[in-house]
Amino acid sequence: MSTRYALLVAIIAALGATSAAAAHASPAAIAWLAAAAAAAVAVAAGAAARALRAPDDLREPRHARGPSQPEPLPADAVSRGVFGRMWAYAAGAFVVLAAVPFVALARRPAPRGTAWSAGARVVDTFGRALRADDIAVGGVATVFPEHNVGAPESATLLIRLQDDALRTRPDRVGWAPHGNVAYSKICTHAGCPVAIYRHESYQLYCPCHQSVFDVLDAARPISGPATRALPQLALDVDAHGYLVARGDYGEPVGPDDWWRTV
Amino acid sequence: MMVRRIARFFDDRFGSDAAIRYFAAKIYPDHWSFYLGEFALYAFIILVATGVWLSFVYDDSQARAFASVVALSRDAPIGYLIRQIHHWSAVTFVAAILIHMARIFFTAAFRKPRELNWLVGLTLLILASLTGFTGYSLPNDVLSGVGVRIADSVVLSVPFVGAWAASIFTGGGFPGPLLLSHLYTLHVYYLPVAIGALLAAHIGMLTYQKHTQFARDPKHVVGRRFWPDYALRTLAAFAATVAAILALAGTWEINPIERLGEYRDYLSPNPATPDWYAAFLDGGLRLGPAFAPTIAGHPIPAIFWPGVVLPAVVLALVAGWPWIDARIVRDGHAHDVLVPPSAAPWRVGAGVGLIVAGFVLTLAASDDIQSRTLHISVTALVTFYRWALVIVPLGAGFLAAELARDVRTRTIHRNAETESVVALRRNARGGFDEETPRKTA
Repeated sequence: MSTRYALLVAIIAALGATSAAAAHASPAAIAWLAAAAAAAVAVAAGAAARALRAPDDLREPRHARGPSQPEPLPADAVSRGVFGRMWAYAAGAFVVLAAVPFVALARRPAPRGTAWSAGARVVDTFGRALRADDIAVGGVATVFPEHNVGAPESATLLIRLQDDALRTRPDRVGWAPHGNVAYSKICTHAGCPVAIYRHESYQLYCPCHQSVFDVLDAARPISGPATRALPQLALDVDAHGYLVARGDYGEPVGPDDWWRTV
Repeated sequence: MMVRRIARFFDDRFGSDAAIRYFAAKIYPDHWSFYLGEFALYAFIILVATGVWLSFVYDDSQARAFASVVALSRDAPIGYLIRQIHHWSAVTFVAAILIHMARIFFTAAFRKPRELNWLVGLTLLILASLTGFTGYSLPNDVLSGVGVRIADSVVLSVPFVGAWAASIFTGGGFPGPLLLSHLYTLHVYYLPVAIGALLAAHIGMLTYQKHTQFARDPKHVVGRRFWPDYALRTLAAFAATVAAILALAGTWEINPIERLGEYRDYLSPNPATPDWYAAFLDGGLRLGPAFAPTIAGHPIPAIFWPGVVLPAVVLALVAGWPWIDARIVRDGHAHDVLVPPSAAPWRVGAGVGLIVAGFVLTLAASDDIQSRTLHISVTALVTFYRWALVIVPLGAGFLAAELARDVRTRTIHRNAETESVVALRRNARGGFDEETPRKTA
């Protein structure tokens, strides 16, 4: 009896959910009416099962398991020696052959350069070219080469420091005109954007796995799982006072792999 | 009656009556915990049903994927609801598989002759997680996009073959021209077809070998007839799964990509945490050492250890468990009768230890949020979690084993008091058979 009532509730709720959807009701209302319909079916089935008063200790024999003792095969069907080791080697040869298309598909990926090139103006994410004084000391901007905003792997952080704050490495003299230092924004650990700059401690912080890089010391990793510094982009100032790149990054940006010898 | 007429129709054409009668009369052992795997199966059915609908509106091109998912949610409440149901079903699917697997583990249902089905089940868990991850990535929103980028970095880190594999998958570089298209093909074709095939194998093996049971009668299956008794019960389980998922979908918004925005490789969500079932992997990446050795000039990136080696070791351990377990108990015999978890305290300890280790790694995946709310530095939290990853699972494992031992002792004493002891009877082959004396009451 209760099964019938429950099924009646299910029918009403299901039709209710249908009309709610037809009347563009809120998703929550449709979902709850449909859930009520399904719950009523569950109650109906449960009540029907209970009403059976069926026994729960019926027994059925289990299968016998090996080791089996099969009837001996007729002499002409004895397979001993038919499938020798040579067959396995032949099968192996075909597996090697089948691998050919996949190996052909796999090409050693070319070293991925970025969109930066010598003389490319530094623009912000709106495409506006930046002069050496456009970022205030302590400030930061995500920058791209001109006409290439959003180009993959090219995202770069432009950070403005006090003129003499940077501990410039001998091979990087003049890369940061007027305290404008630029590092790749793609983390060398797992490729996340190194999105957070803590200007009071001169640290770049990756929100994915919390690697921390020292902005004053060539973006060397000082904490977290990253092991390689963020590559630095060499900057210059052109005749019109705009920041430009001196060329592409001198080393691969982003996470390492076996073939990217650094 | 309708069922009878349908059976008659097929019998007239295929002579199927004997088979139908056989399956209708088949006995299924009954216990609440035997429905956990069914919840997973039913969640998968809902996933396929809602997924087919979603495939009508999704656009897998890099340029329009995000917009197509936003439009689907914006244009009609039903589109929004179906995406909600789909995502909640995915969460339920993975969760039900994990809990089902824990039940199998603690009651030792993986023992001979069911080792193969344990492996099939483990493969299903991996495929379910991969399907979840690929599906979660399809909207191309900034949170999932960062997740795919991390996955790409993990693949890249594999020595020798990693870069090749990654370039085949993405079409070269990141995001790569083929990335979304490949994720989509995996998500709607290869992975679900593989899951369907393995589910068939899983249930086929279960049906053929017959279900395990708690009743101590090793020679018989003890339980309920399939038709109509068990059929009604499993129908109730199906309807309950649907009801629960609909209620979740109507109550809690899941993955509101509209508020996150589209993926750009220079934009980052903060905090950046993955879906819960992938969080333990992310926790591993956060705790992993900054150790990147170089072999003949070729780097092995630090992400390789927690990203590839750790999951591989855990998987190998779990996959090999039926054989490891048989070694430990020196028992190579087949078993159809389950044991209560307390019967093997060391197994309880091992299982609880592994689960707790997963929890520690999952917690570590939100160390940045904890750092902000608790005002503790991330470095201190990483040190804490590294120690916790060793100490807490060991402690929890020993504690759980000790509790199980206590339960076992009490059970033995209680059974001794109430005469429902197990009798051992010498059989003709010289071995012992267990017998439960029938209760007189």
